[in-house]
Amino acid sequence: MGTVFKRDVARALSDATLKTAIDRTTVTAERKRAAALTDYPQFAAARERGTRIKDHVVAHLDHYLLEFERNATASGATVHWAADSEEACRIVLGICRGAGARRVTRSKSMLGEEIGLPHALEAAGIERVETDLAEHIVQLAGETPSHIIWPALHKTREQVSALFKASHRDPHKTEDVEAMVESARRELRDRFLSAEVGISGANFLVADSGAVCTVTNEGNAELTTTPPRVHIVTAGIEKLVPSLAHAFVLLRLLVRSATGADLTQYTTFHCGPKRPGDLDGPQEFHIVLVDNGRSRMLADAGLREMLRCIRCGACMNHCVVYRQIGGHAYGATYPGPMGAVLTPALQGAEKARDLPHACTLNGRCQEVCPVGIPLPALLRGWRDRSWKDGLVPQSVRSGLWLWRFAAERPRLYHLGTAAAVRAMRLFRRGGWIGRMPLAGAWTRYRDFPAPAGRTFMEQLRDRERGR
Amino acid sequence: MPHATPAPEPRSRPRVGLFVTCLADAIRPRLGFAALSLLEAAGCDVEVPRAQTCCGQPAFNSGDTQGGAALARRTIAAFEGCDHVVVPSGSCAGMIRAHYREALADDPAWLPRAEALAAKTHELLSFLADYRGWRPQGVALAASATYHDSCSGLRELGILDQPRALLREVDGLELRPLTGNDVCCGFGGTFCVKYPAISDAIVKEKAVLIEASGAQLLLGGDLGCLMNMAGALHRRGSAVRAFHAAEVLAGMGNGPAIGEEE
Amino acid sequence: MSARDAVLGAVKAALGRSRPADPADPAAVAAEALALLADPDAVRPALPGTDAAVAFAARVVSPKVGATLDRVEALADLPGAVRRYLDGQGLPHLLALQPDPALQGLDWAGFELRDAALPDEAAAFGLARWGIAETGSLVFHSGPDTAVLGHFLPLHHIAAVRASTILPHLEDYAAVCGAAPRNANLITGASGTTDIEGSYVRGAHGPRFLHVLLVAD
Ligand code: SF4
Repeated sequence: MGTVFKRDVARALSDATLKTAIDRTTVTAERKRAAALTDYPQFAAARERGTRIKDHVVAHLDHYLLEFERNATASGATVHWAADSEEACRIVLGICRGAGARRVTRSKSMLGEEIGLPHALEAAGIERVETDLAEHIVQLAGETPSHIIWPALHKTREQVSALFKASHRDPHKTEDVEAMVESARRELRDRFLSAEVGISGANFLVADSGAVCTVTNEGNAELTTTPPRVHIVTAGIEKLVPSLAHAFVLLRLLVRSATGADLTQYTTFHCGPKRPGDLDGPQEFHIVLVDNGRSRMLADAGLREMLRCIRCGACMNHCVVYRQIGGHAYGATYPGPMGAVLTPALQGAEKARDLPHACTLNGRCQEVCPVGIPLPALLRGWRDRSWKDGLVPQSVRSGLWLWRFAAERPRLYHLGTAAAVRAMRLFRRGGWIGRMPLAGAWTRYRDFPAPAGRTFMEQLRDRERGR
Repeated sequence: MPHATPAPEPRSRPRVGLFVTCLADAIRPRLGFAALSLLEAAGCDVEVPRAQTCCGQPAFNSGDTQGGAALARRTIAAFEGCDHVVVPSGSCAGMIRAHYREALADDPAWLPRAEALAAKTHELLSFLADYRGWRPQGVALAASATYHDSCSGLRELGILDQPRALLREVDGLELRPLTGNDVCCGFGGTFCVKYPAISDAIVKEKAVLIEASGAQLLLGGDLGCLMNMAGALHRRGSAVRAFHAAEVLAGMGNGPAIGEEE
Repeated sequence: MSARDAVLGAVKAALGRSRPADPADPAAVAAEALALLADPDAVRPALPGTDAAVAFAARVVSPKVGATLDRVEALADLPGAVRRYLDGQGLPHLLALQPDPALQGLDWAGFELRDAALPDEAAAFGLARWGIAETGSLVFHSGPDTAVLGHFLPLHHIAAVRASTILPHLEDYAAVCGAAPRNANLITGASGTTDIEGSYVRGAHGPRFLHVLLVAD
């Protein structure tokens, strides 16, 4: 079963530096989130409230889309609609060309990654400056993000240092993280201020005002969206909230779950273009509302709950699989548990065949998810579909069929297990089996405890007879 | 989800159906007998329906919902006559309690029966502690042990304190904390053979933490996870020995550990 | 069909709206949305004590926000407090001053002032409209007297806020903010990043230092 996924997993697992990088960030993230929740005993209630807010919006999505469009337009924004990623990129490129843009700055947006905007800009010959520090690192390395909150999570400080030294005009001299951050600040400063277009995503779209909320800790979103003549927002249609007060309920959950802070350093609501008398701000403000599979998820009872996702990244920080293989092995924009649910929806179940299966269903992601998304159940839903669609490998199907055939026939089953345990004991050395035919997937890595000579059912029958 | 809250019934003698689980039946019959004797000690009349095989979880979690449903029907039919169904595994108990209704969601004839069985199905250690108010008496084991909380028991059934409360009553047993006690060991049922390399990476980390606890014994409530961890520990030459907690509580902690000759 | 019609049509179909043109009952939706904001105390952290300004001051200097704080009696004392801060940091008395009449009318003798922050401005000073005690945030609204970049370009961001404008919780700001300005900036500490190995470093792109002057007024 040499899938691309398995190949990438093998590569990731053999990369000790990657594991170091993953651990350095996720261990800190897990600790900080836990501490933030200790200080916030209202978390459980807030999570329930946040879940209901998102469910409410999703249930009335048409209403809120129209309300948002009305208010955003009234504020002077131009609202665009895109059914899929190609259309979204086409719209963004059209605006950039109209603005005569040679250089655009971009503030981190996972939706931008999802629709392939970085690539589209490059293909159109427009210089793209990523302003989020991690996105800047990823851009310099010619890679893609490996985490939705920390796109450069897969890089150790040593790797970042080497990268900056090779590409910054005036790189850091000392090997501390402070000096590296300072180096990026120097490198990016003049580019921030010389772009014709700034592109951001949206953390929330506020329906009753038409405002777009961005959150960052670096302040790069505002530096990206204020100086250029044009600000373009690309946002998924699920980002709506009824009002500012609703956004705050979700913000408390988002930030604590993502970084363990109580609020991002810079939380900004953008509403329309520069107004008369304003001292700065863009002349044009465009909002591109992107569907790209979301209405399909809305129609699908087995995926609708995924539209609650506020992209906090907690599920991947707490995922045992993500923490071994990192984000790139998932082969898509969104990694970890949420990615394993989203990617088949966005790219097709066949292409993402492994993702829903490469999970132990341990439930920790659901436990930490701030909007209570039943990720394991949604993943199992994908397994159910892939079984029905014949995407489960034949070896697995026949194995399970044989076992089920027996398990539905208790007498046969008990005879079969009695025979099987005897056969297995032929391979034991002491109490353990180190190698056994058909069990290579287990015994390649672990020893298998040799079964007792007789099954429980056999022994019980003997006991009862002896009574 | 924690159990709903029927009062403990210390004086009645309920008829309890023991669901041995396919793993215990084949690999570790001792666990089945430990469960049997604990339930009897806790004042239950225990039956072991011969029609039982496997709860169906491997099929269900592989996406073969129909296969899972077929085995769910068999299990329901075999056990619905009992007052309670008790399972020495949080994972299999969780399958019956939480997932039979999903597997049979499209089957109006069986759905109510699935719900009824779910309502009276319990994981062994929580059943002893919460429903029978049972505590071990005169059980001794001079050893240090650490406890791994298997995921289904912990998150689907809310089992966390019960095993510890019971194990604390074992004379001479010292319980040591395990870092990451609530983190998956990488077993995941068929996951561990479908994606063995990932599973191995996860369980290796777990094995290091288990050894770092300094305990002589690894205890848990799910045989599958215990086999995974014990197998990884043994492969790396560790001296830590693994038992299902029920075995220790039943006074069988001096017998062979998982992977030791009878 | 336009993309707008396609997306809205797909959403409506997914929601099972009987006639595609059917609007949801706006009053019912609004009532449901409002109900989701009931009992806000159940879902937000409680403030220590009853005085929002006291809680705000404590919060601003806590590690969660990591800013420094000075107190003054009245707006007229602000130039002196700014001078104290600049002196303490060894900075020249050079300042980008937010063109807010309340600030510009003060006595800035001895300062060299600028209307707008330069890309490498050392220090800028502004007056926040509100403070939020729950998070230790300062709120600025963009407009003719407030540039957005004034909060982001300088290395040292100095911000005054009146004690009487400190609000207890984020929702209280939502209640008083009025019509949305072009930019509402909630600023909670200095710029920071955890993008390299999760370790926290200040001054990523925005200010490295935030100094808050709480005006008793
Ligand atoms: S699924 Fe939940 S935990 Fe994961 S990113 Fe989305 S909101 Fe966060």
